[in-house]
Amino acid sequence: MKLRRTRLYVPGNNPHLVENVGLYNADAIILDLEDSVPIPQKFDARILVKYSLQHVDFGRSEKWVRINGITTPYWEKDLREILPYCEVINLPKVESYEDMVIVDEKMREIEKEYGLEPREVVPIIESVKGLINAREIAEHPRVSALAWGGEDLTADLGIPRKKALILDHVRAQIVFAAKANKKQALDTVYSNIRDEEGLFEYAQRARYMGFDGIGVIHPNQIEVVHRAFRPTDDEIEDAKKIIEAAEEAEKEGKGVISLNGRMIDPPVVERARKILQFAEVD
Amino acid sequence: MVKAGTSEKGDALVIIEPSEKREVYVESKIMAIYGETIRKTVEEETSGLVARIAVKDFGSLEWVLRARIEAAIRKFRGEEK
Repeated sequence: MKLRRTRLYVPGNNPHLVENVGLYNADAIILDLEDSVPIPQKFDARILVKYSLQHVDFGRSEKWVRINGITTPYWEKDLREILPYCEVINLPKVESYEDMVIVDEKMREIEKEYGLEPREVVPIIESVKGLINAREIAEHPRVSALAWGGEDLTADLGIPRKKALILDHVRAQIVFAAKANKKQALDTVYSNIRDEEGLFEYAQRARYMGFDGIGVIHPNQIEVVHRAFRPTDDEIEDAKKIIEAAEEAEKEGKGVISLNGRMIDPPVVERARKILQFAEVD
Repeated sequence: MVKAGTSEKGDALVIIEPSEKREVYVESKIMAIYGETIRKTVEEETSGLVARIAVKDFGSLEWVLRARIEAAIRKFRGEEK
């Protein structure tokens, strides 16, 4: 599975901000055509993003584009312009499995026309209806990860974002929906770009809630989040022992893995592998 | 008249207006160094277009300029509507 600890949102219609995205070392860069682009700029932004994807050096970062939602008149035009050049479509305001079917159909049409490999979709759950349907949405084969957005969701619930007591419940629902389908779960952004300590705690908390990464809105947040997602020395040590025990059991043809007299189940081995994967990067 | 791009740093603003003859105007703060390159890109991308084409450059990279010209031409041909 790809590392998606950080995904950096960059406004799609601002060439100056797009130019250097490859230097930031984010796991993914999201060129945004949705909320950061005012309506009169949608047309220009779509074309600029198409050129950005082809001419800017993204370094090691995955190329994502957040297109406009399917209730707008823009999403099909967005897809037609940019799909051949990006790796992942970040789809806002997804509310049902049917929404995924509609987008999938359009993507198939374009992929066939251009002879492209199928692109992944990361839907963003931003409404109560979307949250209720999150498990089904995550079932769609295009979906590789599930993300969520706090602003619209709390508005939909009719509660102020900063006072919302329900968000950890929402987070849990997103994690369950994603993990039940063996997909990644991605937490939303931490918006105070000056509070490094708060960001570290937020990201580490996201990690311990089961998320694979969070969104970031400033390049300075990237290193902090990567640090928060790095396993502790104890976790790495334990993971190494578990993997050694698993390899030992496999060599000896044993069906059961044990470590210090404790039985180790396959999901524990899987978690250990993931911890070592997280530990090895950077 | 159609416009594409912005006056922000690193961007370019392209304006196309109907005209009976082809006219190309290029303006840049770095005209002395990059004027020729910018003009060449504009000529290449708008070749054959009979209109009044004005480009104001604000330190754009070549791909940015090409993107803004493409957007302006497509708008001029009525695609945005």
